[in-house]
Amino acid sequence: MADSTITLVVPERGEVRVGATASATSVFVGPDVVASATGWFLKPEGLCRGEVCVPVRDGALVDETGDLDVERFAAALGLPVVLDIEEGVLSFGETADVRADVIATGIAPDFELPTLDGTPFRFSSIGRKKKVLVAWASW
Amino acid sequence: MLLDREHLLGELFGIVNVPTVIWIDEDDRIVRPCVIVPGDDLFKDFTGIDSSVHHNQLRAWVVDGVLPPLSEREHAVVPTPEEQLARVERRVGAHLARAGRIDAAERHFARAGELAPMNWTIRRGSMPLRGEDPFGMPFFEFYGEWEAAGRPGYGSADPNAAS
Repeated sequence: MADSTITLVVPERGEVRVGATASATSVFVGPDVVASATGWFLKPEGLCRGEVCVPVRDGALVDETGDLDVERFAAALGLPVVLDIEEGVLSFGETADVRADVIATGIAPDFELPTLDGTPFRFSSIGRKKKVLVAWASW
Repeated sequence: MLLDREHLLGELFGIVNVPTVIWIDEDDRIVRPCVIVPGDDLFKDFTGIDSSVHHNQLRAWVVDGVLPPLSEREHAVVPTPEEQLARVERRVGAHLARAGRIDAAERHFARAGELAPMNWTIRRGSMPLRGEDPFGMPFFEFYGEWEAAGRPGYGSADPNAAS
């Protein structure tokens, strides 16, 4: 195992370099890293997000330093994950079930994206008005 | 105007094609889920979509609070596990492409396309980053696949249009 850094790609934050311990087949990162990317925290009762906790049954999930094997972490929660060890890139997604649950509420999720000059803009800042969200591509 | 380099809106709202419009009321309820809406008639001969249909519907909602009846092709598209993984593959591919790691990026773009073969934002949206023309042959090959599959995904605001 070798100490190194990898690039974590997160939808709302872009790319961040994070410390990692890598072997030929697995990568370990700190629990704070996976929490910042996914919202899931490692607690004594398991992996928790909000009021939901999933017991950890995989003894190889956490190494002796407390870091997490990123692919075992994703597998424990059913999260889509792409780990390119050769390129040193990692990204997590959200489960289809969680996305389906959000869509089923019929409530628009809040989000933040940059304007053309880079200023962060939060959707909820529009307030109680009718809103038309237009998604398009410049090609 | 907002920049969505990582396709966050696609993730949050189930967007699979553009231009897509979503109507959201004062209480943040989605009163009209994803629908294909060109802003004008520049490509009407190709899409068959009359943009004035949506303009009139939008005016009626904003001014009079009248919602149009939704067609059976207007519905929220619930993502599959494969599509969720495809979005992550595309995201990693885009990162690598921007970093100049073209061959590595291509592996992830190809995998994303295999996982979500009918998702325009993944298939067509990746073409510029893959060095392909989004108006060229790769696009028309994809368009043929999509048509042969029965034009999956949500429809347009124009009930007279084919898509």
